[in-house]
Amino acid sequence: MKERIVSKVLDNGLSVFLMRKKGYNKKFAIYATHYGSIDNEFVIPGEEKPIKVPDGIAHFLEHKLFEEEYGSVMDRFAEQGASSNAYTNYTTTAYLFSCTDRFYENLDLLIDFVQKPYFTKENVEKEKGIIEQEIRMYLDDPGWRVFMNLLKALYHKHPVRIDIAGSVESIRQIDMDTLYKCYETFYNPENMVLFAVGDFDEAEALNKIESNFKKRKYEVHGKIKRFYPEEPKEIYKTKIVENLSVSEPLFHMGFKDTDVGYDGSKLLKKDITTRILLDMILGRSSKLYRQLYEEGLIDDRFSLDYEGQKDYGFCVIGGPTRDPEMLHDRILKGLEEYKVKGLNKEDYERNKKKMIGNYIKGFNSPEFIATTFISYHFKNINILQYLEYLNIITFKDVEERFSSFLDPKYHSYSVILPDEK
Amino acid sequence: MNGVFVKKEINDGIRVFVNSTDKFKTITVKVFVHQSLREETVTKTALIPFVLKRGCEFMPTSQEITTYLENLYGAGFDVDIIKKGERQIIEFDMDVVNDKFLPPNTEGLLEKGLQALKEIMMNPLLENGGFNKTYFEQEKDVLLRNIKDLFNNKRAYAVERCFQEMCRDERFSLYKYGKEEDLEDLDPVKLYDYYDEMLKHNPIDVFVMGDVDVEKVFETAEKMFKYPRGNIKAIPPTLVDKKVEKEKTVIEKQKVNQGKLSLGLRTYTVYGDDDYYPLLVCNGILGGGVHSKLFQNVREKASLAYYVFSRIEKLKGVMVIASGIEFKDYDKTLDITKKQISDLKNGVISDYEMSATKKMIISSLKEVADNPMATINLYLDGVIAGKIEEIDDMIKNIEKVTKQEVVEAANKLKLDTVYFLTQE
Repeated sequence: MKERIVSKVLDNGLSVFLMRKKGYNKKFAIYATHYGSIDNEFVIPGEEKPIKVPDGIAHFLEHKLFEEEYGSVMDRFAEQGASSNAYTNYTTTAYLFSCTDRFYENLDLLIDFVQKPYFTKENVEKEKGIIEQEIRMYLDDPGWRVFMNLLKALYHKHPVRIDIAGSVESIRQIDMDTLYKCYETFYNPENMVLFAVGDFDEAEALNKIESNFKKRKYEVHGKIKRFYPEEPKEIYKTKIVENLSVSEPLFHMGFKDTDVGYDGSKLLKKDITTRILLDMILGRSSKLYRQLYEEGLIDDRFSLDYEGQKDYGFCVIGGPTRDPEMLHDRILKGLEEYKVKGLNKEDYERNKKKMIGNYIKGFNSPEFIATTFISYHFKNINILQYLEYLNIITFKDVEERFSSFLDPKYHSYSVILPDEK
Repeated sequence: MNGVFVKKEINDGIRVFVNSTDKFKTITVKVFVHQSLREETVTKTALIPFVLKRGCEFMPTSQEITTYLENLYGAGFDVDIIKKGERQIIEFDMDVVNDKFLPPNTEGLLEKGLQALKEIMMNPLLENGGFNKTYFEQEKDVLLRNIKDLFNNKRAYAVERCFQEMCRDERFSLYKYGKEEDLEDLDPVKLYDYYDEMLKHNPIDVFVMGDVDVEKVFETAEKMFKYPRGNIKAIPPTLVDKKVEKEKTVIEKQKVNQGKLSLGLRTYTVYGDDDYYPLLVCNGILGGGVHSKLFQNVREKASLAYYVFSRIEKLKGVMVIASGIEFKDYDKTLDITKKQISDLKNGVISDYEMSATKKMIISSLKEVADNPMATINLYLDGVIAGKIEEIDDMIKNIEKVTKQEVVEAANKLKLDTVYFLTQE
C-alpha cells in the first residue's frame, strides 16, 4: 500500500504521527492522552502520596475541556467548518475533529483547547445534568448493560468493572479542584499522542504543530505513577442476571485472560492470535456457529471480540438468544469438542486471509486508521506492523493459545432478561 | 478524485451505474431491487433477504457461502431491507479488496465475488417449486426477532413510534421488517413466486464503485442479469401532502430510566423540490449539530438532555426532533423545543447559525465522496427522486440558500405528533 506515516517525538515528549491520504477531501486529527476511566488512583506530580478520585472523572473532564473562557470550543470548530468530538474509554481520552477546509486553523484549535483547561464552579455544576442524562441513556441500553455486567462478574477489583462514565452518585462528587489535579497529571504532552490523516503536506503539518507548541512550556514529569488494585486470576462471579425492558434475552459470555502483564509486539501477537482463534471456533464459517444457528439459539447479531490491554484482557462472545442457559451450555460443550478433536488448519488459513482483507479495507477510512492507531500506540504497538505479525503467526501459535485461553474455569456470563409483565 | 457515475440500461428496467476511481482499496457493489412499501407485501418482502442468505443452489449452506467469501480475502457481503420514503428495497451489498493490494497471483476477486452475488440473488436453494422449507421456517423466526428488536433500542424506538403514530393512515408507518401477525400466513412456494415476480418486473439498480473498467463492468452486468424481464412496474410515488387536522399527543409507558421525547413534523418538501436545499439548511439550524438551536438551548443552556437533534426524511417530507430527558422535564423541554421552531419561523437566525450550518452540510457532502457506500446511498436517493445531481451541484445549491428561503421553508413546518416514552 502507498500510505506511509511520518512521525516525530517533539522536545516536550509528544508523539506526532501524520499520514497522507491522497485524493481524500476529509482531513481528520485526533489528540489523545493515555488516561482513561481505570486511572482513578495516582500520584500528582510534585506530591508523594497517591490520591483516589471519583469514578467517571476522566469522562467528565473530557466534557469540560470543550469549554473556554470565550465559550464553547465546539462552536468555534463549527465556525471554522469542522465538526469536533471526543470519547473516553478505559485507557484513553481522545479529542478529534474532521473538516474539509481550513485544516491548519482547526489543528491549532485542537491543540489550543486541549492544552488550556477552563473549569469554574458554575460550569462544572452545569455539566452534571447533561452527564446524568448520558448515564441514564446507557442504563436503558441493553447491549451496554449486558457487557458492563459481564466485566463486573469477571473482575473482583480492577476498575475496568466500573462504568466509564461513573454513576449518577459518583459524578455528583466531582469538583473543580479535582478536575484540575487530574488535568495536571495526565495532560502533559509526554503522556499524549497526536495523529492526523488527510491530503495535506506532512512536513508543513509538522511545522505547524511544532510552532504551536513552541509558545508553551512544560515540565518533564517522567512516568506517571498509577495504582491498580491487585486482581486475582480467578473470576469474581460466574453469572450476573438483570431484568430490563427488552423483547428477548441477551447473553454475553467472557473469558478472563490470565496471560497478562506485557505490551508491545508480544501483546500484538497475542491479540491477533486470539482473534484468529475466536473466528476459527465461533466465526460465521465455523461448525459451531452453524449448529447454534440451526438450533435457533443465535442469529446474525451474534458477535465475538477480544480486548487485550497490558494489565488485563478478556473476550466477549454473545448476542440475543431465546435461551441463555442452553446457549451457555452449548458453547462450553462446543469448546470441549474442539479441544478433543483439535483445530482445523484450513479454517486457520482462511481466517488469516480474511484478516488481511479486512486490514486493507480499513485504510479506506481515515478515522478508522487514526482511532485504531492511537489505541494500539498506548500499548506500545505500531499497528502498521499488523500484516508483518499476521504473517509471522503460525497455526501452532493458535493451537498453543487455545490450550491456555478459553479455559472454562476462567469464564463468566451475563444475562439480560425481559421484565416480567 | 472521484469519477462520476456512468449509466447504462442493460436489461429491461435494470440500470447500471459505474463510478471508476482509484481512490479506494476496495470495489463496492450494490444491487437494489425496488418494491412499493405496502401493507400486503411488507412482511413478505422483508423475509426474502433472510432466506436468500441461507443458501443457493451452488452453495447450499450459509457456512459454504461464508467460507467462499472468506477465501476471497474477506469479501464483505450482506442482503438486507432498506426503507426510503414509501419504498421498500432489497439491498445486496458487496465489497472486495482490489487485487493490486494483495499478494501476487491473487486475481479475479471481483469476478468471483460477483459470481457469488449472482448465485445468491438468482439461484436460491429450492425444493418443490419453493424456497427450502427448513430455511424458510427458521428465517421466519429470525425475522420475528428482528421485528421485535426495535423495542430494545429505545432511542430508535421512540423515533419509529413517533412516525408510526404520525403516519397512522399512510404506508410510511410500516416498519421495514414488516409485521408479526403476517408471518403465519406465509408459504415457501408463494414466497418464491413472489420473489421471482419481483426479479422479472421490478426496477433494479446496480452500482459499482472502485478501480474498474466501465465498459467491462457493463459487459459483466449484462451477462449476470440475464433474467427474463418485461412489463416493468412503476413504483407509486410517496404521499407527501398530508394535512395536519389536529396536533396529536401520544404517551407510552415502559420500565425505563430515561424519558424519550420525539416530535414529528410535516415539512411538505422532498428531495427534488425547489425548496429542498432551504429545508436542509433549516433543519441544520434547528437541530443538525452542536451549533444548532436545539443543542444550544436544550442541552447547553438548560442542561436538560445529553442528546437532542432534528432529522429530515428527505423522500417523505417529514422531520423528527428527538431527545432523551428526565421524566419530569417533559413540559419544559417541549416548551423550549417549540420555541426554537417558532424562532426559526420568525426569522430569528444569526449569521453564525446560517454560515456554520452551511459549512457543516458542505463538509459532510464532501466527506460522502470519501466513502463509496455513502456515495452510492446518496446517489440512490437521486435516482428515486428522479433528480440526479453530482455532489458539486449539491454544494452549489447549498451555497445559494438565503435566510429568506430558510424562513419560508420553516413556515411550511407543521407539528403533527408529540410522542413521549416515559416510566410506568
